[in-house]
Amino acid sequence: MEEIYYDQLKETLYRDRLDNGLSVYILPKPGFSKTYATFTTKYGSIDNHFRLSGQEDIQVPDGIAHFLEHKMFEKQEGDVFTRFSNQGASANAFTSFTRTSYLFSSTNQVYENLETLIDFVQDPYFTDESVEKEKGIIGQEIRMYQDNPDWRAYFGLIESLFVDHPVQIDIAGTIESIARIDKETLYQCYHTFYHPSNMLLFVVGPVDPGEVYQLVKQNQNQKQFEPPRSIERFYPDEPDRVKRERLDIELQVGQSKCLMGFKEKPAKISGQELLTRELATGLLLDMLVGPSSDLYRKLYEQGLIDDSFGFDYTAEEEFAFSVIGGDTPDPDKLIALVKEGFLEATEKGLDEEAFERSRKKRIGRFLRSLNSVEFIANQFTRYRFGDSDLFDIVPTLENLTLDEMNRRLKEHVDVGRFSASVVKPGKTEA
Amino acid sequence: MTTSLTFETDRVRQLDIHVLPTPKFKTITVVMNIQQDLREETATKAALLSLVLKRASEKYPTSQAMRRYLDSLYGTVFETDVIKKGERQIIQFYLEVANEQFLADQTPLFARGIEFLGDVLTSPLVDGNAFSSKVVDMEKETLKKKLDSLIDDKIRYANQRATEEMCQDEPYRLMAYGQKEKVDAITPEELYSYYRELLAQNPVDIYVVGDVDPDAVKREIDRHLTPERGEPVALSPTLVQVPVDEVKVVTDRLNVTQGKLNMGCRTGTSYGDDDYIHLLMYNGILGGFPHSKLFINVREKASLAYYAASRLESHKGILMIMSGIEISNYGKAVDIIKEQLQLMKNGTITEQELNQTKAMLTNQLRETLDNARTMIDFAYNGRISGRNRTLEDILQDIKNTKIEDIQKIARKIHLDTIYFLRDREGQ
Repeated sequence: MEEIYYDQLKETLYRDRLDNGLSVYILPKPGFSKTYATFTTKYGSIDNHFRLSGQEDIQVPDGIAHFLEHKMFEKQEGDVFTRFSNQGASANAFTSFTRTSYLFSSTNQVYENLETLIDFVQDPYFTDESVEKEKGIIGQEIRMYQDNPDWRAYFGLIESLFVDHPVQIDIAGTIESIARIDKETLYQCYHTFYHPSNMLLFVVGPVDPGEVYQLVKQNQNQKQFEPPRSIERFYPDEPDRVKRERLDIELQVGQSKCLMGFKEKPAKISGQELLTRELATGLLLDMLVGPSSDLYRKLYEQGLIDDSFGFDYTAEEEFAFSVIGGDTPDPDKLIALVKEGFLEATEKGLDEEAFERSRKKRIGRFLRSLNSVEFIANQFTRYRFGDSDLFDIVPTLENLTLDEMNRRLKEHVDVGRFSASVVKPGKTEA
Repeated sequence: MTTSLTFETDRVRQLDIHVLPTPKFKTITVVMNIQQDLREETATKAALLSLVLKRASEKYPTSQAMRRYLDSLYGTVFETDVIKKGERQIIQFYLEVANEQFLADQTPLFARGIEFLGDVLTSPLVDGNAFSSKVVDMEKETLKKKLDSLIDDKIRYANQRATEEMCQDEPYRLMAYGQKEKVDAITPEELYSYYRELLAQNPVDIYVVGDVDPDAVKREIDRHLTPERGEPVALSPTLVQVPVDEVKVVTDRLNVTQGKLNMGCRTGTSYGDDDYIHLLMYNGILGGFPHSKLFINVREKASLAYYAASRLESHKGILMIMSGIEISNYGKAVDIIKEQLQLMKNGTITEQELNQTKAMLTNQLRETLDNARTMIDFAYNGRISGRNRTLEDILQDIKNTKIEDIQKIARKIHLDTIYFLRDREGQ
């Protein structure tokens, strides 16, 4: 087990890769009450077309990674939640575009809970009957999101930005697509993506790293795994244009919601390069539309935005896009002014003082996020899967230059890769 | 070195200061709560006030100037909010600064943060005896939009509508953000005189959590937070005992695809009562966790819902059951939920349910120690209710809870209102 000490942050990280390929990371947090552990596979909603070496490639129904996540909790002897509840742990799971993560937090019986976590994820149990029953529950989850205007606006934007890439597929799938899911396909996805060599275990809390490591190692040594095989994932080539410039959705809302953003050109970058791009773009957006910016002030004073206005940038190896917006009484005007503001900035270039301020802010906020064990485990895993390191954030920020920022600005802002998504109040009469 | 949940309390300039020094966080968190009775006359003013104070001060006359200053202090977080706890409305100021021991730059961020808070509190942007009318006008619009957007989140909307129907004649029906129709009439003069009165006489509690020295905290507060105040006034108690004559049934229709079912119960028990911990246990067994009766029977067995849970409002003693269901399953879901309430009354609770709930509640409470905000909230609940329980006391009471205790609580619980938000089909 390797030990890495981060002097400025006063954190120590332990890491190792086990013989079966599993990556294990432990970050002791003395003084904390709870231990939080995540067991994550590099498998998300975008992985719908793949091939395990030596087999034929397959295309699976939309929403299956998320469906699989739900089904993992059911075992022959009953629900895994029962087991965690007996051991005083709160357990959960989530599926994103690129990952499926299983997790628990507990202040007691940490080792038992950790074994339960590893064991339940490594022991699939699907029956025809339980797969059918799950369709009812997930069907209600899908309907819940259909009534959620923020989600609809967000997905509406992604779906407008991307022409072919599966990032535009709703993570839960649709009522129709999940109807096609069966036990056999679930097992096939499971055996492809849940091999230890495609997974990462992160444990953070008041733990003894040596003890945790021994426990995990012993647990894994008792189990038989196939030798690791490489997974080939197929993604369509995403064109350098958007599917549509604007999408309008009618729902029962008090005020319109308007999100807009730019899709990045397919770059297929990873590691430090991707991290740098992510951080630079985050600062860029903060400088252009954050609460301290001139554009924000203008939009606020014109009554076009409120505190719901914000921005976000998602960058993965396979896709990247920005999201800007919030509630507004006038989506047309908001879109026009934001677009105009961005284009103006590309001509004028960025301001040195604003850059320093934004960078300080980002460093302070990063420190703040290290108070959260959930943040550490989830974000560390995400960066690791992209071949970069969460703890490189501060040095990377410190190394950014204004020139780099200006280059990033010109790359990101391209009206040909811009879309907007608007959820507006529908007619209230039936 | 696990932190305990004991704040060091003192009164400085009639402000109640509570400090919890702990090295485990990389930031220092400050929460300031100004408390008042939740009343129709002042609820909307308080909400508007929280927005106005956040937006500008004499020293930072625009939101942009304020935000730029905070950004330069390593992204100091400053937010205001209004919340309700029982029939009290609280204006909350939230400040979080990085601890400079983790930075190369050694600017004393905590002292600057308190100085900033002092500016906001005692030197707002005013024009004679009124808040700046430009700021007030803009924030009125913001508040109205905020109130309009309640309908966007159907879970919250259904909750609020159910609460309104349930508490028609009680202040608790009001939202923390007040009422939209009351916004326009508020003048900048009126708002300012209301604020001065509030600051002069209402209880103010300031909580600080982080790697700090309590004496240094008090010194900074004494230096920078200098409102003129007298002895804080006493506030009214929350009405908890409300008899239920018959179950009210209400249906609203909107364009939705999923129905939201809320069933509100009166428990007659609140945070300050001896048997409050038994009520916590009751809620946990009924609907607080994934092993609870509601989750198992509505979701897992009947496959009717994605979520089915119950939530407790500790100060008002209202237990709200909520679930998102297929609209045609309304009758079925109501029956299953009523059956669970009956099982609780009969004491049909297994040892396993009891022990799981104990383990989960214990875990949940211990986890509050890992977050400055939840620690402060825990302490403030004790403050509001006038009953300061220690975490250890609560954990002990949980451990000692028996099925008979829960059954006793169950007999005090009465279903008050069934509220259903559904689509417009067949209207």
